[in-house]
Amino acid sequence: MIFRQLKYLLQSAGHNLWNFRGRNLISVLIISFSFLVIGVFLALSNNLTYLGEQLSNNLAISFFLKQNLPAKEVEEIRQVILDSTLVDNVVYVSQSEALSRFTANFPELKEIVANLDSNPFPPSLEARLKDKSVTLATITAFIDHIKRLPGVVDVQFNQDWVEKMESLSRIVQAIGFFLGVILILASFFIISNVVRLNVFARKNEIEIQRLVGATNTFIRIPFLVEGFVLGLAGSLLSIFILFLLIKIFPVYIGQTLGAAEQLLALRPLSLEQMIWLVVGGALTGTLGSASSVSKFLRV
Amino acid sequence: MIELYHIWKQYQKPHWAIADVSLEINTGDFCFITGPSGSGKTTLLRIIFREILPTEGQILIDGVNILKIPDHKIYKLRRLMGIVFQDFRLMFHQSVFANVAISLQITGLPDKEIRRRVFNSLRQVNLHHKMWEYPSRLSYGEQQRVAIARAIVNHPKILLADEPTGNLDPELAYEIMTIFKEINDQGATVIIGSHDRELIRHFGHKIFFLQTGKIIGQEVKP
Repeated sequence: MIFRQLKYLLQSAGHNLWNFRGRNLISVLIISFSFLVIGVFLALSNNLTYLGEQLSNNLAISFFLKQNLPAKEVEEIRQVILDSTLVDNVVYVSQSEALSRFTANFPELKEIVANLDSNPFPPSLEARLKDKSVTLATITAFIDHIKRLPGVVDVQFNQDWVEKMESLSRIVQAIGFFLGVILILASFFIISNVVRLNVFARKNEIEIQRLVGATNTFIRIPFLVEGFVLGLAGSLLSIFILFLLIKIFPVYIGQTLGAAEQLLALRPLSLEQMIWLVVGGALTGTLGSASSVSKFLRV
Repeated sequence: MIELYHIWKQYQKPHWAIADVSLEINTGDFCFITGPSGSGKTTLLRIIFREILPTEGQILIDGVNILKIPDHKIYKLRRLMGIVFQDFRLMFHQSVFANVAISLQITGLPDKEIRRRVFNSLRQVNLHHKMWEYPSRLSYGEQQRVAIARAIVNHPKILLADEPTGNLDPELAYEIMTIFKEINDQGATVIIGSHDRELIRHFGHKIFFLQTGKIIGQEVKP
């Protein structure tokens, strides 16, 4: 009996989705717009995260050593640095190597360096960091530890960049969370109002069902199924539009942004993010529908 | 048995739509509630199937106080009843079949049984040939017959009908009353709100006369 009723209710939901296709199409478009805004934000956030990762990957710490430090001591320091779990690899840069790098990078200053009596560049150990998600506090603690070793005279680490990147990442996450919550709430209300319009248009039908003895569950299920389908369709459509946007954006809009293009680029959503969007759409549709139909189920 | 005790209903002060109505209807009765327009017939019927609540009073159906039934269990009461509404209350975007079948679909009957019963009900009201039409394409009288078919399709224990023959020609009105009588003969209690004196005279077994919300008389034929 339950299966028969379920079959009837699903058929009824399908029938209503088709019968009110115009109104339902508008609902799907509104839902997809809401989720598109969330999706665009996610894509922007993905890009910033990606840029952050790129920056982190290029981070290196230079430990400057005393001049003429015996090879054995250099090796000891190198070993201590390498023992750290943060470090991926360590490269020794000798004085002459440092000089040649400088002259290669700044050829116009070649003459000045040539006039000096001795090589002013100290030897160094360059450490590349392994873990991109490591916090600034951990890096600082590591630097302080190495700095105290005899033979290490100075440390160069682009701390500013790391700090800026960390704060940017925090801001992006905060804005993302804030916007996400607002947009999901907004979507919920939009969907629940759209569904409410649908329910209101069928107020008469609900009343008839109640008066002939239908249970609240019996009346509610087709509306929930419809809300689920509308939410699902809306979020799937938003993912499709977002996919098109990501393809079109660099071609048409990206070029006009100049230097900001890299920062404002859209990066495709991960599978997990897409699943969340779809689940979110279906859930919002169902809950919006549930909240709307409950209003009409009083005797 | 349906018992109404001191029923009062007020929509708007100071007018009382129903004023201190008490009556008893036995199981198997075929009764009419009659009176001029605005006398409270529809209100009384709506109170009996608990579409609205009385301002005061109690109603017992087979000993159960229906005003104490929680909202989520009202469906059990409604499934015992067949109701013909004065304004028909049809689903206009669904076929005649769907409009009648809804009373059975909510109970989870097999499709085959639903089709059989719906067809029989529609045949009783002489509308089986328009089973797949939409109500909006039917005449007023035909719509009324769809509402009647929906009310009788689930073989109700209590049949409530509010002006069920208001838009029908005398021959069809007579036929519909005969159908109601058949259902009554099978054991159902039939309560009809009507002001059709000819039909009341012909079919009425128990008649309640209502005026300005009060029972002003009662007649029981042998």
